[in-house]
Amino acid sequence: MPLKFAVVCSSNQNRSMEAHNFMSKRGLIIKSFGSGAQVKLPGPSLDKPNIYTFDTPYEHMYKDLIAKDQNLYTQNGVLHMLDRNRRIKEKPERFQDCRDRFDIVFTVEERIFDQVLEDLDSREKKTNELVHIINIDVADNPEDATLGAFMLCDLGQRMEAVDDLDNEIDEILTEYESKIKRPILHAVSFY
Amino acid sequence: MTENIQETIVELLNQASLYGKDSQRVQHLRHVQELILRKDPSLLDNFLEEVLVFQTDRSAEVRKTITSFIEEACQHDPEVIVKVIDALRFLLYDDNVLVQKKLIVAMVSIYKSTLKWLSRSRLIDENVRSMWESMINMKNHIISLLKSDNDGLRTAAIKFIEMLALALSKRTADSIVPQSNDQDISVNVIQDDHRILKKAKLELEGKDVMEKLLEFTLSQHLSSVNLISAMGAIANIARQRPDYMSRVVQTFEALQVNLPPTLVDSQVSSVRKIIKLKLLSLLKHPASLAFHPQITTLLTDLGATQAEVLKHLPKVTSESKRKLTS
Repeated sequence: MPLKFAVVCSSNQNRSMEAHNFMSKRGLIIKSFGSGAQVKLPGPSLDKPNIYTFDTPYEHMYKDLIAKDQNLYTQNGVLHMLDRNRRIKEKPERFQDCRDRFDIVFTVEERIFDQVLEDLDSREKKTNELVHIINIDVADNPEDATLGAFMLCDLGQRMEAVDDLDNEIDEILTEYESKIKRPILHAVSFY
Repeated sequence: MTENIQETIVELLNQASLYGKDSQRVQHLRHVQELILRKDPSLLDNFLEEVLVFQTDRSAEVRKTITSFIEEACQHDPEVIVKVIDALRFLLYDDNVLVQKKLIVAMVSIYKSTLKWLSRSRLIDENVRSMWESMINMKNHIISLLKSDNDGLRTAAIKFIEMLALALSKRTADSIVPQSNDQDISVNVIQDDHRILKKAKLELEGKDVMEKLLEFTLSQHLSSVNLISAMGAIANIARQRPDYMSRVVQTFEALQVNLPPTLVDSQVSSVRKIIKLKLLSLLKHPASLAFHPQITTLLTDLGATQAEVLKHLPKVTSESKRKLTS
């Protein structure tokens, strides 16, 4: 059976959606999420982000930002990103509110890895099925998101290629860590 | 209605037994599982044998599907165990590790439901005795898999042992049991004069497997996944069986200064994160009060902030607060 992947960033906009797009095009079964309390997008200045709730459709954000300042949000790439996102799914999803089961949960920041671990740990346990949680740091900008998506996809495909992942995952991760020269955090939890 | 369902089941079983894509055959069997166990469980008796035939199927995915069918059937009606025990034993010794693993995970719930049913059952005939003998043999085999060469099998064995340590010990007034485990069996409910369940012996066995698990957690050549799973298991046990709180805190103390030398740096970071998470969960438990000095020292070493520690402290009386700060 193919593995079920999740990729989690903060707002389910840039890093997780880039990976979602990239990995699904390569045939992996993937869902994307944010782990923050709200969805944050860049605003006119650093201290004035645009904030939405997780149930706001990408389409709505896209139109909202066009109305606010089409020039600014075209230049900083946010409209381009939202346009991509609205073609992938309707709205952002929060990891903590989803009860789907995954084999692998990728996170892109240590803080998010901690949030995912804490959330999985606090859930009611039912099936004792194993889930791997894996973090590779990816900076929150379009270029790094592209690179991050490539790495997560590459790693995902390596995992998909083995018969007995639980027995081989240590080796795959250690090898990949030395290939990309970035630390990889890895923990497990149970559903 | 029932007739229609029966016809559909027959048709699905026929299709599943024909040559075809394994994924499709699995889909048919899952459909059968849904129809029997969620739509009309009275049909279980009629079709059990036909479904069990698939335990020898050439496809590992099909054999895994049958394992989950059996698990759900036992949850629905624990008495079914007498009819499926041979199939379970067969699947435990499957050639394919993924099937074995699936079976061990299923056995976590099957062992509990069987023990619970037996503890209430008055009719202990030869079939039941023989089933329990097989169950004991399977249990011993799963425990021995802590020494398996396969990392995933060891992880599954850890989860099974966690269940055993909980089921074969007494729930106490200060046990904090998650809602999903609230109906789980513990030795409290087993009668002293039960015909085949020997309460004292079972309790002793519970202690013995817990010792094995603690020892395993501290062994020097452990993979990070096994270590993380074992830490999760002993922390769960301490929360649900606070009599073990002292041993579990000691184990975390010993671990922190002596992690397996085989772990690479990033694995050490991940393991330390989990130790922190588990210690914070123990800190929250009222029965850990006497161990707060050790736990907070460990947490500080792990980089926990004062605010994090305070957030996880249980609500205590002002007197015990004074004791802690003195």
